[in-house]
Amino acid sequence: MRAKRADRIATVVFWIIGLVSISILLFITGVILWNGLGKAIQPSFIFGRPKGFKAGGGIWPMIVSSFYITGLALFVIMPISILSAIYLAEYAKDGRFTRFVKFCVDSLASMPSIVFGLFGMTVFVILFGWGYSLIAGSLTVALLNLPTVMRSAEESLRSVPVTYREASLSLGASRWKTIRKVVLPSATPGILTGTMLTVGRILGESAALVYTAGLVSRHVPDSLFDSAAPLAGYIWYVQTEAGAPDYRAIVDGSAALLLVMVLVINFGARRIGNYYQKRTLAGEKRV
Amino acid sequence: MKRIKRAINNFQRKEVGIKIILVTSASLSILAVFMIIAYIFRESLPAIRTVGFKGLFSFNWKPEPANPPAGSYGMLVPIIGTISATFWAILFGAPLAIGTAVYIDQMAPMAIRSVINRGIEILAGIPSVIIGWFGLTMLVPALRNVTATNGFGIMAAGVVLAVMSLPTITSISVDALRALPPELEEASLAMGATRWQTVSRALLPAARRGVLIAVILGIGRAVGETMAVQMVVGNANQVAWPWELFKPTSTLTSRIISDIGESTGVFRSVVYTEGLVLLIFAMVLILAIRMVSRERKR
Repeated sequence: MRAKRADRIATVVFWIIGLVSISILLFITGVILWNGLGKAIQPSFIFGRPKGFKAGGGIWPMIVSSFYITGLALFVIMPISILSAIYLAEYAKDGRFTRFVKFCVDSLASMPSIVFGLFGMTVFVILFGWGYSLIAGSLTVALLNLPTVMRSAEESLRSVPVTYREASLSLGASRWKTIRKVVLPSATPGILTGTMLTVGRILGESAALVYTAGLVSRHVPDSLFDSAAPLAGYIWYVQTEAGAPDYRAIVDGSAALLLVMVLVINFGARRIGNYYQKRTLAGEKRV
Repeated sequence: MKRIKRAINNFQRKEVGIKIILVTSASLSILAVFMIIAYIFRESLPAIRTVGFKGLFSFNWKPEPANPPAGSYGMLVPIIGTISATFWAILFGAPLAIGTAVYIDQMAPMAIRSVINRGIEILAGIPSVIIGWFGLTMLVPALRNVTATNGFGIMAAGVVLAVMSLPTITSISVDALRALPPELEEASLAMGATRWQTVSRALLPAARRGVLIAVILGIGRAVGETMAVQMVVGNANQVAWPWELFKPTSTLTSRIISDIGESTGVFRSVVYTEGLVLLIFAMVLILAIRMVSRERKR
């Protein structure tokens, strides 16, 4: 009887814990959207430019900066991470070198983003003389996100059944041709989902970017070496400086807009994964 | 014959070339790790040389931005701040996260299970500035009303960090529970054990290494988190031990992000030394994870 009672109490406690966790999420997103959505949907706010110490500034240059940095970073991350993942999943034997590469990838993944910011500032901003710029920021977040993309790509490659490879190899295709024509296409949904999640992470990144890309920008960056100010970093900057009289509304609006962008991308990532998975499964049945 | 030989040669040469490209790109990660460690270390050398270990590991903090060598630069306040905030983050976050993992794996009905799973993923994706802004506008004022303080400090930072490490700990603990052989649960239930007895005496003990790794990764997340902490910790230069919950203080990360923009000379080098300490924390955690997972193999 005592065991039964303990079980009933535990069940109630775990239900409460589960509900508390989910309500934390609902509460935070609810508050951010409630406070900021009204501001975030005003065209003059989205498409306007920041006005420094005057009220009524917009955030268009930051939105564009965020997307430029994300695009450029992906441009660097994708080839390197996919090639590394192919090496780790398809070619590497379990030896000293492979284990060392994996250790380094793990170490890179565990370093705090602010350390990447310090590194980017030393090397890209000062040593290379690029100053606060799109390219310095993009390379810094590329380094930061490389290990996660690499790991998810590696996992996607490993989840492709061995029979696919055997079938292709037995038909006389070379190892590389097998990877390119059979393994990579089958792993695409997984790689795509991982990439989309990375887009969400880069859009939200601030610590590594404020002192590599820039804090605030009055105009849309027009070259790789122009300073840029991604939205997440700008939110931090505006609330720290508190310069404009309506800084609270600006932060509220920017936070709501950023949250919506990140949520849309994260939901999209799952959708794409599910869609492709269904399609490939359907295709398999037809065969 | 000759033609076939040449074809095979070409073929092999191509495969070798591809392998070289692949190895090179995999080696880039090694290069990145070493470059980062080397540059952070090189930039902190002036501080280590002129301020010295004794000066760096002290409570004296009096930076002189105009004349850097004249200041004193002790890092103990932010080091203790980081430890205090992380302590509370894990104390609040880990039980909640492990409980949520058990709930997802064992108790939740199918429909709720996927909703909570998705919710945890979304929580992991919320940018840290947004959680910081939430903390600054909701949590800090609430703490200010409840206590007779200004609301900033270890408590606020601990709660914010608990929220941020919750998804990390939860999802890895769920993986650990899922990886257990189903026979374990079935055997326990078949012997007449209740659900709670099964969870507490069979499943959690069996998954304890995975759960421990989850908590270590959660600690890593809390130690390295920057923006959200900077917004709620108060950024004051006074030491706050874990029991001084409502005393505004600084953490390593909040110090770095506040000072890096306007420091020069030795002062700037001290900021990099703070980064070096963060790196050492991260390396210790990685080694701890290695040790835990190696033990499992035996």
